[in-house]
Amino acid sequence: MRENLKFILTKAVEFILTLLVVSFFTFAAFSILPGDTASVILGPEATPEQIDSLRQELGLDKPVVEQYLNWLAGTFSGNLGQSTAFNVPVSSLIAQRLPVTLGMCALALIIVIGVSYPMAILSSRKPFHLADQVFSIIGHIAFAIPPFVLSLLLILLFSNLFGYFAVGQYYAPTDNFGGYLNSLLLPSVCIAIPKIAMIFKFLRSSIITEKASDYIKTSKAHGLSDFSILIRHVLPNTNVSAITVVSIVLSDIIGGSLIVEQVFNLPGLGRLLLMGISRRDFPLLSGMVFYLALATVIIYFVADILNNLVDPRMRLK
Amino acid sequence: MADRKAKLSTSKVNVKLTSDLGRISFVVGACMLGFVFLVFLISVFYTPYNPNMTDASNILKAPSFEHLFGTDHLGRDVLSRIMSASKYTIFVSFAGIAIALVLGMLMGLTAGYWGGIYDKAIMLLSNSIMCFPGILLALVAVAVFGSSMLNVVFALGIVFSPSFARVLRTGTIAISNREYILHAKILKVNPFRIMVVHILPNLLTALIPAVVIGLANMTLFESAMSFLGLGVQPPAASYGKMLSDAQSYVTTSPWLIVFPAFMLILYILGLYFISEGVRICTSRGGTIE
Amino acid sequence: MNKSSSKSVNIIEIKDFSLCFPSKTEGMKPVLNKLNLSIKRGSIFGVIGNSGCGKTMTAMSIASLLPKEASIQGGDILFNGQSLLSMDPHSRRLLLGDKIGVIFQEPMSALDPLMRIEAALGEVLISHGVKDKNEIRSKIMEMLKVVGFKNPDAILNRYPHQLSGGQRQRILIAGAALLKPSLLICDEPTSALDTVTTISILELLRSMSISMGITMLFISHDLNVVGCFCDYVAVMKDGAIIEKGITSRVLRSPQTPYTLSLLRKSRLDNVLSNDFFLKPNYSETPLLEVSNMSSGYDGRLFSRQKHANVIHDISFKMYPKEVLGVIGGSGCGKTTLAKTICGLLTPTAGTMLLNDVIIGVVFQDPASCLNPSHNILWHLLEPLKAKKIKLSKLETRELLIATMKEVNLKPSYLLRYPHQLSGGQRQRVAIAMCLILKPKLIIADEPFSSLDASSAANVLSLLSSINHKYNTAILLISHNLHIVSKVASRVMVMDSGTIVESGQLSEVFASPSSQAAKDLLEAERKLNSNPNALS
Repeated sequence: MRENLKFILTKAVEFILTLLVVSFFTFAAFSILPGDTASVILGPEATPEQIDSLRQELGLDKPVVEQYLNWLAGTFSGNLGQSTAFNVPVSSLIAQRLPVTLGMCALALIIVIGVSYPMAILSSRKPFHLADQVFSIIGHIAFAIPPFVLSLLLILLFSNLFGYFAVGQYYAPTDNFGGYLNSLLLPSVCIAIPKIAMIFKFLRSSIITEKASDYIKTSKAHGLSDFSILIRHVLPNTNVSAITVVSIVLSDIIGGSLIVEQVFNLPGLGRLLLMGISRRDFPLLSGMVFYLALATVIIYFVADILNNLVDPRMRLK
Repeated sequence: MADRKAKLSTSKVNVKLTSDLGRISFVVGACMLGFVFLVFLISVFYTPYNPNMTDASNILKAPSFEHLFGTDHLGRDVLSRIMSASKYTIFVSFAGIAIALVLGMLMGLTAGYWGGIYDKAIMLLSNSIMCFPGILLALVAVAVFGSSMLNVVFALGIVFSPSFARVLRTGTIAISNREYILHAKILKVNPFRIMVVHILPNLLTALIPAVVIGLANMTLFESAMSFLGLGVQPPAASYGKMLSDAQSYVTTSPWLIVFPAFMLILYILGLYFISEGVRICTSRGGTIE
Repeated sequence: MNKSSSKSVNIIEIKDFSLCFPSKTEGMKPVLNKLNLSIKRGSIFGVIGNSGCGKTMTAMSIASLLPKEASIQGGDILFNGQSLLSMDPHSRRLLLGDKIGVIFQEPMSALDPLMRIEAALGEVLISHGVKDKNEIRSKIMEMLKVVGFKNPDAILNRYPHQLSGGQRQRILIAGAALLKPSLLICDEPTSALDTVTTISILELLRSMSISMGITMLFISHDLNVVGCFCDYVAVMKDGAIIEKGITSRVLRSPQTPYTLSLLRKSRLDNVLSNDFFLKPNYSETPLLEVSNMSSGYDGRLFSRQKHANVIHDISFKMYPKEVLGVIGGSGCGKTTLAKTICGLLTPTAGTMLLNDVIIGVVFQDPASCLNPSHNILWHLLEPLKAKKIKLSKLETRELLIATMKEVNLKPSYLLRYPHQLSGGQRQRVAIAMCLILKPKLIIADEPFSSLDASSAANVLSLLSSINHKYNTAILLISHNLHIVSKVASRVMVMDSGTIVESGQLSEVFASPSSQAAKDLLEAERKLNSNPNALS
């Protein structure tokens, strides 16, 4: 018990430290570097007094550290600032677009895991035989196609099925859940395919390596069936490193979704991001970046903790 | 005789390809890559038309003898644009990886060698960078600093450095306790010399696949950024930009999508096959000596 | 499945059994060539031979654990009179664990690191139909007691990485014996263990063989182990048995020249010539003075564990020219001591005076003592660079050639890479790297343990010539008491991080006073004796 507590404490400290570094990067990028925000907002014709008063209003005349802490405090209470382009709280903008991005990512993740695991298990049963070769080749090609290219190609190919996949039409989840899923399906598949290839390759080699381990010999000598060995020994040991890989993939999926929604015209966080960039809406950008980075930090740490729960060697030295 | 010995380099890197499958993979990849390089080289001296020359009378023409790959929505020759765009793909990927490698080596080798608090600090930094989804970080950097080629390269370099740092750090930790490194430490060889001359050459087996895959991923990123309008600026051509322009014409002018997509995929796939080839060879008993 | 056939005298009969593996260069490479073998019920049967002779494949064939590529070309294997090859795979699999048990060589990796011991052992019973949890637990506890765990409760909940190599091997034995098999196949089970642990495992196996009536097939390349443990032995070469019989007869008077050469190669004392080392003069100023030194590894950040001291309060002196032997079981701190003296670890307490002495170090593993990315020339130049020794090109060339000749390596080897040299040659390069700086003290940490007898003898000769030429003192750490007894003038015995005994070699070995020394000498004696000497 004592070791577990010590371990959780260590992880919590690491988490907070990472969060601090990440938040500082974000803050620095948007507040310190671009120069004087107030004059940017007001444009070149503003008088010095107007700039000064806006500065005071936005709290930009206070020392940097204080600005940072204020910002940080605000962030954790949900206040990510006011968007200069839309004049509404950043958090509301994010909340509006969240279902799209969240839906795509979740769906993509489910597809990736659901497809690559069985593929990997099948492939590893008879390495280098038919199923394995076929999967590997398809995987190689799929890996090389960027998601947005894939989406364009798929749209090209399935333009007959335009109506079926409801491309371009988006339903909010509360209005029509079935339609919601439908509209997210093709985009999620586009994001998922390269990742399936990646995870499949990794899982396959990981399973094959584990199968060759010494402790598998012991289990065979104990008379266990191949299936039992797979379930009891091979997969749990594979999962140890799979968790880390999946967390990285999830982070990639988030990135991928930002791009794919362009092609499919979905109102998600990606579009919001681009609008913020083109209008130099720094509060919006810093809020969004921090939010997404926070999500990633949380994902990595959940993965880390899961990893250590599964593998006792890391927990109990 | 003594002079000859002194001049002989004491270590060389020579990829010995021993496995058939690995060899085929490597060769296939190299051919694919070679093709793209060839296109680039030719484009330096010759393109059928000026890639940026617009021609309002020749909009959206399908491939023909005059324009082998057709024309785009501004009347520009697609083939010429494809050839011209190859230089961005190659330049950005290689320059970006070079930056990522340098940063990665700085972080990874030192963190793995010295360990302790220094290691934890570097890992904290590196993990924090990893916490920003790659595209996000690159987009942000470009948003803040402007979207010039150099900024894109630097941004991507920073984004990729943590993964190299990680590979190098893990490798350094694994090797640090081997006897030959202990010998070097006992002799009190300069730590940086140990890192670069003693440890690094042994990490090449792990590093080279990472570098090649990194090149491929960097190309993906760059094309994604151009696709979103944040990479190279018009009128310059880049595959991502071409695809972005082509979005509105998906069903009417498929050649606008097919050719850029093909070149992009060819480059990435080529890199990927090379990486696979090296990996297969070195894991099945071939050596990098 | 559980047919009670008439109990034949021989539990295993292999008849004209041939096995092949597909190979890239040769098509089908024969591994076992019309093998004929009979193992008497209740006996302990040893199989020896060099690596590649097919002994492991024989065991795997009996246990039906052959890899998929293996192809059986003919013959049969009878177990209890029943043909194994004509059984269906399902029945054959059920034999495993139930009638036939197997234990392997690497106890460190033979247990699933994610499973607790109770679950790992329990699966044997579960897969053979035992369902009741209490029954499973009581059987496991009983078996753990048999293999020597006095407190089985504490072990059940542990993970493998929390146990030592010897403990893990005992658990593997428990797992193999849980269902009271009639045959236990042991594939090099003690090769990775030190002498004292090896003897205790062998004694355990022997007692189990007697009390539970288990026949044992014991595979090893170590003639000493087979000699003291097995009733019968068979010598294998190139997939066939060339000699077999009662152990003492085969090892004392071998009938075939191959067996004779095997014996010669394994016994170091046959190969050691009249190398000798200088006797030190104890009135000279000591080279090295260690007083009350403690050392260990740094504690970890964020952990309440402070500096973990491995060695405590060590004090001793070393004099010029002398050979000081350091012996002790695994984990006693010998390597930590070596690392502290050569500067890799800083002492946490006490002092160490080195009197401006150049130190050379030779470590154990010839596989990793050289940097794979650089050639030998580079290896010899590095020490010169590190110590900033500047020589002209001519001088450097002469020094390199002279050094290579001193370690009996051709100067043309300078351009070779480590993987192009054998283990013994690499060890010699490691010594050359020391030599080039003309050290006054060489620390040798288990330099012989990974080498075969002739390479070890070469290395020993080298050390002896260095000792003579340069008056170099040698701190020799080794678990091979044979070698230590031939070369050291003084010896120190370590246990649990302290020096428990030290003195002149002859005194300590003749009448040891510490328990650790007694155990070591006793284990060594048993290893070199007859099978019946084991209790």
